[in-house]
Amino acid sequence: MSGLVLENVEKHYGSACAVTDVNLHLPEGKLVCFLGPSGCGKTTLLRMIAGLETLSDGEIRLDGEDIGHTPAHQRNFGMVFQSLALFPHMTVGENIAYPLRLRGVSKADQQARVTELLQLIQLQEMVDRPVAKLSGGQRQRVAIARAIAARPKLLLLDEPLSALDAKLRESMQVEIRQLQQRLNITTILVTHDQREAMTMADIVVVLGEHRVQQVGTPIEIYRNPANAFVADFIGSGNIFPAIALGNGRVSLPGGAAIQVPICESIQAGTSIKMLVRPEDLTLSLPQATAGNRLQGTVTFVRDSGATIETTIDCSGVSLTALSTPCQGIGLAIGNPVSVTIPAEACRVLTA
Amino acid sequence: MSSPLKSLFRGAALLPGETGRFAMLLSGGILLLAVLPILTMIVMSFSGASNLDFPPASYSLQWYKAAWNTFVSPDASDVLSLGQALTTSLLVATLSMLFATLVAVPAAYALVRCEFRGKAAALQLMSLPLVFPMVVLGLALLLIFDSLPFQLNTSRLVIAHVILALPFVVKNCTAAMLSIGSEVEEAAQMLGASPLRAIVDVVVPLMRSGILAGMLLAFIISFNEFTVTYFLYNIDVMTVPIWMYSRTVSSLDPTVFSFAVLIVLIDFALIWALEKLVGEGGVSF
Repeated sequence: MSGLVLENVEKHYGSACAVTDVNLHLPEGKLVCFLGPSGCGKTTLLRMIAGLETLSDGEIRLDGEDIGHTPAHQRNFGMVFQSLALFPHMTVGENIAYPLRLRGVSKADQQARVTELLQLIQLQEMVDRPVAKLSGGQRQRVAIARAIAARPKLLLLDEPLSALDAKLRESMQVEIRQLQQRLNITTILVTHDQREAMTMADIVVVLGEHRVQQVGTPIEIYRNPANAFVADFIGSGNIFPAIALGNGRVSLPGGAAIQVPICESIQAGTSIKMLVRPEDLTLSLPQATAGNRLQGTVTFVRDSGATIETTIDCSGVSLTALSTPCQGIGLAIGNPVSVTIPAEACRVLTA
Repeated sequence: MSSPLKSLFRGAALLPGETGRFAMLLSGGILLLAVLPILTMIVMSFSGASNLDFPPASYSLQWYKAAWNTFVSPDASDVLSLGQALTTSLLVATLSMLFATLVAVPAAYALVRCEFRGKAAALQLMSLPLVFPMVVLGLALLLIFDSLPFQLNTSRLVIAHVILALPFVVKNCTAAMLSIGSEVEEAAQMLGASPLRAIVDVVVPLMRSGILAGMLLAFIISFNEFTVTYFLYNIDVMTVPIWMYSRTVSSLDPTVFSFAVLIVLIDFALIWALEKLVGEGGVSF
């Protein structure tokens, strides 16, 4: 199988488990994102792929070849660290040429490759600058150029954008994604920022509680989370307990019932968890209860200008609805309101 | 206190009010105590009298002339010429500096990067020479060297001086090592450098200032060392401090002071170089 394959990969430190039971196939040329909260084992997993951590168990294969026990310096993977780890005693050019120097590339070829890469990252005139004299975004680009200088088989990015301010981060996300597609290099990005994952990834691997929770495209993961952990971690969601009544009817804790067709197969009396995304809820001025329209009371309004987030207490469930200013109906805390829960937007989660 | 001096002190006070003035006076007094011996020595070296009265009755350069004469045409009464002593001192200091550094750089790396059993004990042992009485150390070394089946001359001084300088060199290298994150080393490995190559290409250059500070300190410590050397020298191998001491015990003549001024000048130059190379606050003594 081409690409990177992880089989039953496991890492534990003494009795503490960092990550376990990882089975993944990362296809060639794709950008794969390891997404998860801090401490979920995503960086450990990346470091095992890099060769900076030993495997406690399992196998890592690249294009069919077992590389799980190859030392890091023989793997020919490019890596960008969280701190970037540029060499402060070398200039921009020397930093980028370092992997080439190690491989015995001739001075002239080193020069040519450095010029080519500096053109790619648009820092041609910076070649003789010490890295300390660069701005955050420039350093970022140099770190990437250095990582890809020796044409690695795999590019590993360990939260490389976390040190940048929000605006620069957003533009670097696009820049890295475009570069990755242009070079068609298999890339793994580790991040805890789901927006970053959504922007950049072909495939998202959600990690949590030391194991893989779900693998899929960003939209799949957002729309159809595999379990409560993923639903809760990706995006903001209304997750609430409910009881199936049979024939697709579901009762909420406060007694109100709604019609959800996907629950038809669930046996009556089963306790389930439901997910509805805030942007799928519709608010209206109080109207008679009908279909999936329920009555509620506004408990909090957060108007951030671009969007309005309204929290409603509705049949014993606290729901948050997201609307744009033009959809807004001028609600304030304490106002009665009607909430429509579209049946097709509901998801049933396994706990 | 005279008023210009008073205003100078007040002008330079770092803290306002009485506390500041008191702190200034206290630190000024302590600094004065520290430089007093050096000042006395410098004054004495310019003495015009032929005895050791302080302050001297008159001033001249006669002891510098005498010192120069000893240097160019050694006394027959001296067992060893100053030139030979100086050569030995420089040789021993240079070798001690090199060996101490060769040991200290890997030691500092291991102490910072690696976790191993007995690390605390190793740290303690490394700084033992700082608290160990010099006389006891000298005696112990003498016993060890004399029990050896072969004769060591210069090298036994080097061994002793490496032991004495090591805590300082290790301390400076460790301080430099602590500021180097492990990520740069890992980055070098990811780019294709073997672990050893990564240390040579990245870690050592980043430790440079600490290593240089340690090297110079080792040189200065070896060059000035007296107590331990006193147990280990012999008639053929003598360092400058020992040579000077041997002159003062036979006949205390102020020539020694002119030599001492020379040595102080060398030390000052080295310390100045140290500060220049490493920058303020970079050296841990």
